[in-house]
Amino acid sequence: MKIKHQLAIFNALTRLLVIVVLWLMLPILIENVVYRHINNGLLEKKQKFIDHLDRNEINDFIENSDDSTETYSQFSTLHSEFLVLSKSPVKSNQKKAVFTNEYRIIEGEENEYRILQYHFVFDNQGYQLEIGSSLEEVKDLVFIIKFFILIVFVVILFITFLADTFYIEYLLKPFYKIIDTKIRRVNEPEAFDHTPIKARSRDFRELDSVLNQMMDRISELFKKEKQFISNVSHELLTPIALLKNKFENLLQNDSLDDNAFDKIAGSLRTLDMLKKIINNLLLISRIENNQYEANESVNFHELINDLVEDLQDRIEDREIQIFNKMQHDCIFTGNKTLIHILIYNLVTNAIKYNKPKGHIIIEDGFLDDRYFIAITDSGIGMNASQIENIFNRFARISSDQDGQGLGLAIAESIASFHHIEIKVSSQINEGTIFRLLFPESIKHN
Amino acid sequence: MNILIVEDNKELAVEVYDFLCNTGYVCKIAHNCSDALEEVSSNDYDAMLLDLGLPDGDGFEVLKTVRKTKSKMAVIVLTARGELDDRINGLHLGADDYLTKPFALTELSARLFAVIRRIHGFTLNNLSIHGFLLQLQDYKVSYSETPISLTKKEFDIFQYLVLNKNRVITRLQLTEHIWGDILEVNSDSNFIDVHVRNLRKKLDKHTAIDWFETVRNVGYRINE
Repeated sequence: MKIKHQLAIFNALTRLLVIVVLWLMLPILIENVVYRHINNGLLEKKQKFIDHLDRNEINDFIENSDDSTETYSQFSTLHSEFLVLSKSPVKSNQKKAVFTNEYRIIEGEENEYRILQYHFVFDNQGYQLEIGSSLEEVKDLVFIIKFFILIVFVVILFITFLADTFYIEYLLKPFYKIIDTKIRRVNEPEAFDHTPIKARSRDFRELDSVLNQMMDRISELFKKEKQFISNVSHELLTPIALLKNKFENLLQNDSLDDNAFDKIAGSLRTLDMLKKIINNLLLISRIENNQYEANESVNFHELINDLVEDLQDRIEDREIQIFNKMQHDCIFTGNKTLIHILIYNLVTNAIKYNKPKGHIIIEDGFLDDRYFIAITDSGIGMNASQIENIFNRFARISSDQDGQGLGLAIAESIASFHHIEIKVSSQINEGTIFRLLFPESIKHN
Repeated sequence: MNILIVEDNKELAVEVYDFLCNTGYVCKIAHNCSDALEEVSSNDYDAMLLDLGLPDGDGFEVLKTVRKTKSKMAVIVLTARGELDDRINGLHLGADDYLTKPFALTELSARLFAVIRRIHGFTLNNLSIHGFLLQLQDYKVSYSETPISLTKKEFDIFQYLVLNKNRVITRLQLTEHIWGDILEVNSDSNFIDVHVRNLRKKLDKHTAIDWFETVRNVGYRINE
């Protein structure tokens, strides 16, 4: 999950929490405010009633009423308010004014009312005054407010989530740009783009400048190494060239005796070996120093056909059968010479470590959507600990083999240069399979 | 044929000089850019062997200057491997061929022959030895008008030995010439012997070839 989504979701969740708390507190808040308001109204009405009260009126209300009951009731037309005055015995310890919520039936209609009960004494007679105000409207109102607030909250939540996402994305844009242009697309320090990334956040400007500095240092090291490789190559190969040409000229001398002749020829062979070791080591260093371009298109079909033809002499010499089972016509973008060396080294190894009259199979295919080329031999095989070491420089399976054990070290550095994975599986005396797994970008042609 | 050798390593220059003089070329040595440019402007050379790392400048600068005036001169660039890898445009700058150091002198002479032949419009088409005629243009060999069918490798070996006649050619030199400078360290391969054996069988049908010598364990020689 990307950071922008994580942040937006986190923000939304905290907001939701606040909303839930508010939502739970809402009824309490509303009731406090509303009840206080109603209570004040009721007290005001009571005050007005008491202020205008005198004997006659009480008589009017109670004594002289037609139905001569002890109570007097009066209510508004829609039953939203009522007033009841009744005689009641005076009790001690009784609070003068009490507010309650009660259900009352008025003219056959039951409603909840906020009721003020007020006890007072007039002419030594105790009275109870009840003034009620309907709560139905208040309840409707509370429901409407709750509903409205719910909608507002949902809308706010949605809008802020979107706003968050876009704003965070806007803030993080420089970050992704840095990753894309400064890290992912840079294969070698020389290709590094030093132009600063425009960013509003200081953090990203810092990140950018730190990356630039780091790349400068790496680039400096790469340059130094390149210079070193070039010097080594010149300083080592020139004396070899000199010796080689001296020996070659010497070899043409007719006055040489057989012994001297053999020794010179032997020296030439040793020099050749030395030259090849140096060239191989330099090749590895150059690959690791990224001195090769990787922009040629490589056709494996052609490459392997050519290679098998090139190696025909050796294959025949050891009476090995080679089966070229390449089926897919895949094009890979890389360095043609290096890829040739990679496959050449694997195939020559398959020849070298094969049994006489053995076989080699070269095939290709797709494994989990990744293109692969597999080179299978019927050779001596290796155990697990040998497989671990084969890619090390100067590693050889057994000491009596010719070669210097650089072939697979080169193969490995070429493979990692091209982001190719080499998988080895082997069984002693059965044979070995080298599988080259290419990056997913390579597609069937 | 006049050849200018531009090489700052004096000993190496002398070895190349000796070899080419033995082959029949007329040679001169220059150790730096300015000497090389002076030589080129005052004398007519058919070919130049050019080292790239010179003490007073880059060999490519010499090449550029030379190409402005002498289009008919063959130039072979001699360099350590890799120096050329980053500037493979050497051939575009006007070099006719390049050899990486260390190289075999016999290989140098074969390349020199090919380059000069190309520049002179393939007028030196054929080589002959003891009645065998090598038609280089179309890879054909004949003995007194009778064509002999050789494989590409057999023809290349024959041509290489004839070009370097009277010299011992080691198996190594032949292998490198036929298969190129393969990186594999497996120097003493005998695959070349199979091809040489077949070549000899084919030549032997037409006449005695005692001039085609095997030099002990080292290699082969064709004597004129």
